[in-house]
Amino acid sequence: MSREVYFLCMTLVAGVVTIALRAFPFLMFSGNRPVPTVIRYIGRVLPPAAIAMLIVYCYCSAYQGKSFASGGFGVPELAASVLVVALQIWKRNPLLSIIAGTVLYMVIVQNFV
Amino acid sequence: MTKRVLKAAFISSLPVLMGYSAMGMAAGILLAGTVKLKFLPFWAFLSSGINISGALQFIMVNWTEALLPLAQVALLTFCLNVRYAMYGFSLIEKFRPLPWLKRCYLIWSLTDETYALEVDSAARTPAGENQLDFCFGVAFLDHLYWIFGVTAGAVIGTALPFDSRGIDFAMTALFLVVLTDQCQSKVNRLSAAVGIISAICGRVFFSTSNMLIPAMVMMGAVFVIFRGKFERRLPQKEECQ
Repeated sequence: MSREVYFLCMTLVAGVVTIALRAFPFLMFSGNRPVPTVIRYIGRVLPPAAIAMLIVYCYCSAYQGKSFASGGFGVPELAASVLVVALQIWKRNPLLSIIAGTVLYMVIVQNFV
Repeated sequence: MTKRVLKAAFISSLPVLMGYSAMGMAAGILLAGTVKLKFLPFWAFLSSGINISGALQFIMVNWTEALLPLAQVALLTFCLNVRYAMYGFSLIEKFRPLPWLKRCYLIWSLTDETYALEVDSAARTPAGENQLDFCFGVAFLDHLYWIFGVTAGAVIGTALPFDSRGIDFAMTALFLVVLTDQCQSKVNRLSAAVGIISAICGRVFFSTSNMLIPAMVMMGAVFVIFRGKFERRLPQKEECQ
C-alpha cells in the first residue's frame, strides 16, 4: 500500500469513528427518550480524566524510539509544561499559553538536546 | 440566514479563528515536515475537512509514519475523541427542529470550540434572530478556519522547509490548557488524577502505542465502582459538561 493510499484509508477510518462519536447521542435519544443517568454521569466525570490520560500519552510519545537521556531527561517537557500551565492560570489566554509553551519547547529541543 | 446573524456568528467565532489558524498551521507544518506524500497540501485539506479534530490531526502524522494498522487507528481515534460523544447530550433538544441535512452538518462539525459557542447560542444570537442560524454560521466558519489553518500550514511547510522539531508540543500544550481550566473545579481534579494514574498504569504494563485502551478500561472501572463518591462531589445543578 502506498503512503498516499494509507493516508486516505486512515483519514476515512478516523473520520467514520469521529463522526459516529459525535452522532451517538442524537442517534441514541432521537425521540423524547430521557438520557440514562449512568451515561450522564460518565459524561460529566470522564472529560478531565481523558484529557489527563492524553497528556501522559503525549509525554510517553515524545520518548518513543529514543532513550530518556537523549531526549533531555524530561527537562524540555517539564519546562514547557510549567510555562503553559502558569501562563494559563495567570492570563487565561489559551492561544498565548499554547504558543509560548510550544516556542519554548522548540527552542530547547532544537538547541540544547 | 440574515446578515445580522452571520455577523454575530463571525464576531463570536473570532477567538476560534485565531486558535484554529495557529493550531492548524502547526499541524500542517508538522505533517509537511515529517511525512513525505505526493500532493501533500491536498491530503492536509482532505483530512482536516473530513475530521475537523485537532488532536487527531497531530497524531495522524505519527500513524502515517508508522503505517499503524487501521484497527488500531479506529481504537485510538475512539479514545482520543470519545469526549465528542458527550457533547451532543446538551444539544439534542436544541437541534430537534432542524431539517435532517442541516442537523447532520451540525453534528459532523461539532468540535470542542464550536460546541462551546453553540451551547451558549441563546446569549449570543441577536434579538429576534434564529439561534439555529447562529449555530450553523458558527459551525461553518469554524470548519473553514480549521481547513484553512491546516492547508496553509501544509503549503508553508512544503514550500519553505524549516526546522519544525518540537512543534508537536502544541498538542500537549492544548491539552494542558484545557485541563488547567477544568481543574478549577474540585471534582474535575479528582477525575484528572484518575486519568493520570490510569495512564501511568497503562504505560507501566504496556508499550506507548498500546497504553490508551487499558488506561480507558481502568478509568471506566474506577468511575463505575466509585460512582457514589464522585456523584456526591458533583455540583447539584444540572449543568452539562
